[in-house]
Amino acid sequence: MERREFLKKSAAVGVAALTFNKLQAALESNSIMVEKAASPDLVAVMGGEPVQLLQRALQEMGGIGKYVKKGQSVVIKPNIGWDKKPQFAATTNPDLVGELVKQCLAAGAKKVSVFDNTCDNWIKCYASSGIKAAAEAAGATVLPANDASYYRDVKLPSGLKMKSGKIHQALVEADVWFNVPVLKNHDGANMSIAMKNYMGIFWDRMYFHNNDLQQCIADACTWSKKPALNIVDAYRCLRTHGPQGRSISDASTLKAIIVSPDIVAADTAAIGLFNQVQTMDLGKVTHIANGEKLKLGTQNINSLTVKRIKL
Amino acid sequence: MKINILKTVRIILALLVFVPLLLFFCDFTGTLPLPFSNLAKVQFVPSVMSGAAAVVIVLLLATLLFGRVYCSVICPLGILQDAVSWFTRRGKKKNRRRKWFDYAKPLNILRYSILAICVGFLVFGIAEPLSWLDPYTNFGKIAVNIFRPVAVGINNLLNWTAVRFGVLNFYHVTLHTVTAISLGVAIFIFLVVGTMALLRGRLFCNTICPVGSLLGLVSRFSAFRISINESKCTSCSLCEKACKSQCINSKEKYVDASRCVACFNCLDRCKSSGVNYRFAWTKTRPEPAIIEPVKAKEFGMTRRSFLATSGAMAATLPIVPAIAKAAAKEVDGSKRTPITPPGSTGLKHFREKCTGCHLCITHCPNQCLKPAGFEFGIQYAFKPHMSYYEKAYCNYNCTICSEVCPNGAIQKLTPEQKTVTQIGIAHFTKERCIVYRDNTSCGACAEHCPVKAVMMVPYKGSLTIPHMTDELCIGCGGCESICPAEPLKAINVWANEVHKTAQKPQEEEVKEINSEDLDFGF
Repeated sequence: MERREFLKKSAAVGVAALTFNKLQAALESNSIMVEKAASPDLVAVMGGEPVQLLQRALQEMGGIGKYVKKGQSVVIKPNIGWDKKPQFAATTNPDLVGELVKQCLAAGAKKVSVFDNTCDNWIKCYASSGIKAAAEAAGATVLPANDASYYRDVKLPSGLKMKSGKIHQALVEADVWFNVPVLKNHDGANMSIAMKNYMGIFWDRMYFHNNDLQQCIADACTWSKKPALNIVDAYRCLRTHGPQGRSISDASTLKAIIVSPDIVAADTAAIGLFNQVQTMDLGKVTHIANGEKLKLGTQNINSLTVKRIKL
Repeated sequence: MKINILKTVRIILALLVFVPLLLFFCDFTGTLPLPFSNLAKVQFVPSVMSGAAAVVIVLLLATLLFGRVYCSVICPLGILQDAVSWFTRRGKKKNRRRKWFDYAKPLNILRYSILAICVGFLVFGIAEPLSWLDPYTNFGKIAVNIFRPVAVGINNLLNWTAVRFGVLNFYHVTLHTVTAISLGVAIFIFLVVGTMALLRGRLFCNTICPVGSLLGLVSRFSAFRISINESKCTSCSLCEKACKSQCINSKEKYVDASRCVACFNCLDRCKSSGVNYRFAWTKTRPEPAIIEPVKAKEFGMTRRSFLATSGAMAATLPIVPAIAKAAAKEVDGSKRTPITPPGSTGLKHFREKCTGCHLCITHCPNQCLKPAGFEFGIQYAFKPHMSYYEKAYCNYNCTICSEVCPNGAIQKLTPEQKTVTQIGIAHFTKERCIVYRDNTSCGACAEHCPVKAVMMVPYKGSLTIPHMTDELCIGCGGCESICPAEPLKAINVWANEVHKTAQKPQEEEVKEINSEDLDFGF
């Protein structure tokens, strides 16, 4: 009896130790949030190639090492939704994704994974967008996300219309993630930027459309594991006929990038940039206001420390 | 022990055709390059359907020269039967005698009647009898509906295991294209063909298969053939016991060349070199006199039955199209007329040319080609049709089905042609739409429309609602597949019985933007 008791107890202690380790890890990652106050809330860089833009923006945000620690597993979530070449601006710029992978690995990441729950056939999307090739060349693992079996149940307690959902396993298990959308006009949600990009981490997009799309997008962003940064690729933007565009004439080259941990601010700023080439009333993109109501961030850019840089 | 070179060559050639073709049918990853489909394009019935005269002539000439080598090295169903009987070791040397083969009389009435029916109907544009009996097509159905799901199952098991170990590099595949009916039909065919192969070797090829019967008519006169050297033959019947076509009559020292599939299994059995594969052009008729009357009688019967059957068929011919027409009148409306794949030019052409081998179904990357049951009538049974459901719709830039179809049922399209081929038109039903019903944003249909035939137009406040431009729609089903409205979708594609050309989306003026002039805008 005593031996059994001993074994039980030691097992319990072991479990407690494991939990403690996790707690400590969580605390450590929280400390990042404290440091962040020292750097700007939002950085926008214009006038360069994708790699340059990202490098400068990350540098201004305090360097990749501030977000990615040695041995962590990282997920990068670009927009790979459509079977389109990069020039259509329907998908995130592959060079930008490649550079981000490279930086994460250089910062000591154990593993960098890239995925998106695509709209078109996933194999075609991964190939046409150039993202699979670029990410793999940089050393990332490009994961399939085409089947419900990859997704795990998560709770969204602060969501109004969507209280739970299924999120890709790789992201549920990741230590850090980056939300890397492309700046697009969108037929359903009016704009598709950082908040809308969340739909691709979930399995069931039908639920979004069936239960007040604009609220569900905001609800999705309330998931407890927030991205370290939202990196809005505005090297090209899709002006009209989004989210996939009809021809290359729907896209424009802006040569810009907007980076912020505040997802509402990032989307608001991106719409400001977008409005110079195509009119889009911020008030029409109601998921952004819905996000502010859920305390995901602020639409009041002036209340933030913003760095605007022209290369 | 003698080395049977011809048999070895036959087996190697057969495997060289069969294995790649089987893999091409089972490929669920899209890895194998499309030229593999050439192995389907050299099959007899597909060549007849697509009008590839050169292939047909080459196959007939080969048969005239070497006998029915087609049945042994090209026809996948023939090779599949050999594989089945190989497992049971029937006819093998070391087997017990009761599992050996014996000579059997040809079932000439049956086989030539079936051939006559197939040919007769085909002449009048009705391909059903031929498509139901075509060996290649039946092999396709077995491969796609039985073997492929097994391969996918193994892959998913591997993936399941890998995911447990934290390896996410495999991927799970969910098959939507195997229906209860298509699986049932495939199992039925496999059981029938398999059982016949187990018990009677190539009985299927020599009684039911129309290609076998036709080639049999030619191989009667083939230049090279198996023949018995009477001076050396001791009538020991060892060759007969090895013959899976059951076409060697060792007592009469006679080989029925019309049923011999040139498998060469008999050659190394003979202990006295009495069986040879040799040039025998002049000997078009078996020598022994005893055979003659039997043969003549059978021949007579065949001709008589041929005439009788064709007569009966000719009488029923006008009825068949009438029935088809009546059936066609009934099926009218969304999803009551099948949407045929781009390149098939229309329902009539597709129905006549497609035999239902399911090769296109295998290779449709979005799994939007699905085998029909009987919902579109008997004439469309088991043929693929476009089916739009979750994530399954026709990819805008994809032309794969038109490239793999061996029958010319789906004719080759360039991407430029494909993107303006209108196979149907989407109809919007406002009352079912989420935006109208719930007053919330949606736009999933417009999002998925590659040509912007569905556009979101201003509705109430910041809301927008779908609006159709029919001339632009190509019927790809992107909108229908994603429409979240339940239980009935708010947007449905109706088939074009004859495909049309859609308007090319008008290129908008390229808006020149100099990024240097831009500011941050916020």
